[in-house]
Amino acid sequence: MAEVIVVTSGKGGVGKTTTSAAFATGLAQRNKKTVVIDFDVGLRNLDLIMGVERRVVFDIVNVIQGEARLNQALIRDKRVDTLSILPASQTRDKDALTKEGVQQIIEELSKEFDYILCDSPAGIEKGALLALYFADQAIVVTNPEVSSVRDSDRILGVLQSKSKRAEDKREKVKEHLLVTRYDPGRVERGEMLKLDDIQEILAIPLLGVIPESESVLRASNTGMPVILDPESTAGQAYKDTVGRFLGENLPHRFLDPAKKGGLFKRLFGGRTA
Amino acid sequence: MTQQSLPETFRLRASNFNLLVLRLLDPRPDAVLPSLSDQFRRAPGFLRFAPIVVGLSDLVAAPEEVDFRGLIEGLHALEIVPVGTTGGSPAMRQAAQAAGLPPLRTSGGKDEDGPVEQARPQAQAQVQPVAVAAAPAPAAPVVDFRGTGRAAMLVTDPVRAGQRIYAEGADMVVTTTVNPGAEVLADGNIHVYGALRGRAIAGAQGDTSARVFALNFDPELIAIAGYYAVRDGLGHAPIGKPVQTRLEGEEMRFEKLG
Repeated sequence: MAEVIVVTSGKGGVGKTTTSAAFATGLAQRNKKTVVIDFDVGLRNLDLIMGVERRVVFDIVNVIQGEARLNQALIRDKRVDTLSILPASQTRDKDALTKEGVQQIIEELSKEFDYILCDSPAGIEKGALLALYFADQAIVVTNPEVSSVRDSDRILGVLQSKSKRAEDKREKVKEHLLVTRYDPGRVERGEMLKLDDIQEILAIPLLGVIPESESVLRASNTGMPVILDPESTAGQAYKDTVGRFLGENLPHRFLDPAKKGGLFKRLFGGRTA
Repeated sequence: MTQQSLPETFRLRASNFNLLVLRLLDPRPDAVLPSLSDQFRRAPGFLRFAPIVVGLSDLVAAPEEVDFRGLIEGLHALEIVPVGTTGGSPAMRQAAQAAGLPPLRTSGGKDEDGPVEQARPQAQAQVQPVAVAAAPAPAAPVVDFRGTGRAAMLVTDPVRAGQRIYAEGADMVVTTTVNPGAEVLADGNIHVYGALRGRAIAGAQGDTSARVFALNFDPELIAIAGYYAVRDGLGHAPIGKPVQTRLEGEEMRFEKLG
């Protein structure tokens, strides 16, 4: 049986898709058979971040509506061969998704894969609810700012009341906190929430902290998951995050303002790569 | 001042009624009924077919000494309709219930003719589904305490943004935090053994003696029995400290604990 992981946040623009792409790639690099599903029907992005947009023929809605077989819609990644992508439809809306359809897809994928990552759309409406409904574990992506923390808190409540595990009264969905776009310098200046403040509110185990990094935008625009960029601090942090998820005991890095740039770089607004 | 729910043909709605309470001073129907009938003869029609509640607090007698069936029959004969009981010991209320008089709860959560401290927890253990004075239809999940012998709802998970938890007819004890955007309501007191950062509404049915306790007092809104203060109005309160909030008259007091 595959483990179903939802990447969710409530709020938009915090890095769910970036995280889904990086995390799925990271798991696949560890030889785990991994598939990542884009649930953002109508606003699909995952295929772009993964750099497979030119290879999309069928999508999740085609599969649900019986217009294509699952194997026809799955796109195998060219860089990591244990990784597959199931894209969302760009031309439909979330109403095209049904619980039964999603269940069928997840059951079928379960036979073949170790991990099924569900990249949730923002909000707490149908798309987001379906993305988290079948989850065994949840990665809650949060930015160090109050509105993001509030929305993450909301989605944690939804996870514990509206997921299938909650409805079946089984063991609850395992929650992981992933703080993204963390800028230690701005935290130090009081412009961003401290890690402790976020953890105090959300009260779930911390899986990782991804530093704010220009390499993320560059990676997105070139369709290469940032975890494949060995120079990037964000990519390294995602690698650590995947390791921790698989049970390794790794310290959190990139929590302090970068010092190696020296006084000069800091004075002139140097940023981490 | 008793609240009661009446079944409509298809819907159940909570409603408030003013009811007369017949406070029994003597357990013997044959002693009570004649004087009652005497009094009503002087005011004919005054109580004709009127529903009344039998008050048990003043009764100095063992439950088995009270002939509830005889009393009910006698009252019916006088064209008075007993609908339930208020106050009294649990055993007394049980005896009355066996005869067809269920215990009612007053809207403030306390019995008007009974000692408050005793009546509240006992009422919880004794309340029967039909007899409970219904609260205004709660939009929040309600936990059933009947049979647990407890009059407090225990919440051990963080109360998260968008969640709303209501301890109907009971206190609420939250062992973790109430986050911003969350709401906790209780008919009794609210205790938060973490940070209270959301909304807390105690005495939700009008109990002005209800209080809110929080180890880290940092609420968005706090209300007791309909009196409320929003965060902007808490300028003088010790924010971030262990605090109890209570009503003194119409004024809300914030007092540091410990």
